[in-house]
Parts: sequence; C-alpha cells; structure tokens
Amino acid sequence: MSVIMSEEIEEIPLTASETAYSDIERHDIFNREFMPHINSMYNFAFRLTMDEDDANDLVQDTYLKAFRFISSFERGTNAKAWLFRILKNSFINDYRKRSKEPSKVDYQEVETTYNSEESAEVEHTTDLRVESVQDMIGDEVANALNSLPVDFRTVIILCDVEGFTYEEMAKILDIPIGTVRSRLHRARNLLKDKLRTYAASMGYQTED
Amino acid sequence: MSLFMQSTVSIETDKPQKTYCEHHAECLKKIQAVLDGQATEAEKEHFRQNMDECLHCIQMYHLEKCIKEAVQNKLDKRLCPDNLVATIKAKLSLS
Repeated sequence: MSVIMSEEIEEIPLTASETAYSDIERHDIFNREFMPHINSMYNFAFRLTMDEDDANDLVQDTYLKAFRFISSFERGTNAKAWLFRILKNSFINDYRKRSKEPSKVDYQEVETTYNSEESAEVEHTTDLRVESVQDMIGDEVANALNSLPVDFRTVIILCDVEGFTYEEMAKILDIPIGTVRSRLHRARNLLKDKLRTYAASMGYQTED
Repeated sequence: MSLFMQSTVSIETDKPQKTYCEHHAECLKKIQAVLDGQATEAEKEHFRQNMDECLHCIQMYHLEKCIKEAVQNKLDKRLCPDNLVATIKAKLSLS
C-alpha cells in the first residue's frame, strides 16, 4: 500500500516543495479547504460520467487521493482547482475507458477536423434564435451538452458552470491557455449546432 | 463591466450598422472572451470600438450570452449525497 502507482503521481499537481503537515493540520485543511467544494466536485463528476454510481466512486477516489497527497497541497492556494485537476486526471485514468457515454467520437479527431475546417472558414450562421434557447428546459440543454465529446463538454462545464478562469482551466487540464480558448470556442460551436438541430426538430422558430 | 456592455451593445444607435461581418469568426472568439470576463485589453478595445456598428456581431453577442446563461442556470446542480460525505470521512477517520 505504501507503493505509489506511477500514474497516481501524475494525477497530483506537484508543488516545488512538499509540506510536512501535522495530523491536526491535515484534518483541518481537508475539512476547511477541501470539503467545501464537494458539491461542485460531485456535480463535475456527474457531468463527466453521466452516472450517479460512477460519480460517487470518482468523488470518493479523488478525496482519498487528495488526503493521501495533502503534503503536495500548499495551504491557502487554490484548493478547488487543485481538487478539480485530481478529479479530471482520475477520470481519464480510471473511468474514461469504461465510460458509458454514447458518443464514441475521438475528441482529438474532432478537434483536428474543426481546426482544418476553420481555414476553410466555417459559416457561423446565427439562425438559432435567442428566444428558442430561452424557451428550452434544462433537460434539453443537458442533452445537447451531453452529446458533445467529453473534452469539449469539460471546458464548457469548467468555464460556464464552475466559473474557472482560462488560467485555472489551463492548470486543471494541463494545456496552454491558447488551447483552452480554442477548445472552448470549438466546444461552443458544437453546442450551438446541437441546440440549433434540436430547436429545428422541436419546431422552435429559427430564422430563415 | 455590465454597464459598459449595456451601453456598447445597444441596438439603438445612430451609427450605420453592418448586417454581415466578414470577420465574424474572429469576432466570435473575442465576444466569448468578453462574456467569460477573460478578454485581453486589446480584445476589449476591439469590442468597444466595433460592436455597435455591426448588427451581425450584436446578434452573435446576444446568442452567445443566452447560451452561456442557459448552461449556467438551466442545468440542475447535482448535490453530493450525504452518505458519500459520511463514507469519505469514515474512511479517513475524520469527524
């Protein structure tokens, strides 16, 4: 049990130096800095896995790891981003392989496709009406979001639901800020396409 | 910030408005950064200078804002079950 799996080490954002906290300090950090984020963490886990049992397991694993590697956390720094990063990495390592998500589209492939299409200038039509989106209920928005490949879904959740800055997202996802911006942009274009298709199929008014 | 947006993104303006923006793909990126509160100074400046002259960009702005708000507000927030909190604390012998 004392042997740390190499992939687990990669999941933990390592700081320059580790801090040797006392037991009381460890418990204090866990209760005061980690636990207040548990609802956000659970919501994120559920949006990633789209399954309550998997979300339970993912959050539990993440919090146990966070406690185990608490010496890598620098007190007073951004605990929420630190926890989200561990959860995201745990998801990639443990859950993604057996993810129940319907979309089997390889995100890298999608991103490449969108990149190449951009040079040909994608037509960003504005035929989806504001009123159509405002009339949609939560389930309709959720279905559109859930149909996106997980990496695109992730950036939208981190940005719009959790309100992380681009810089925080870059740290959580281990990608440059420029990639955060472009991935978010593509994710939103995809989401808009889904909403547009949905609005049209449901007979919501779209502009001609 | 919100005041500045309201004054900038006003449909009622005396300036002539473009109905098609040839830079709309680039403008859309700037609009999203502004809505995210993450725009650079140059992007904000571009937004200030050009938005109210372009109907196409104004429409994109309103649609982007509306979709962002729908994601923010319409998705139900799943709360962590109490028994999961209890399980985690029990496993770590925390109370």
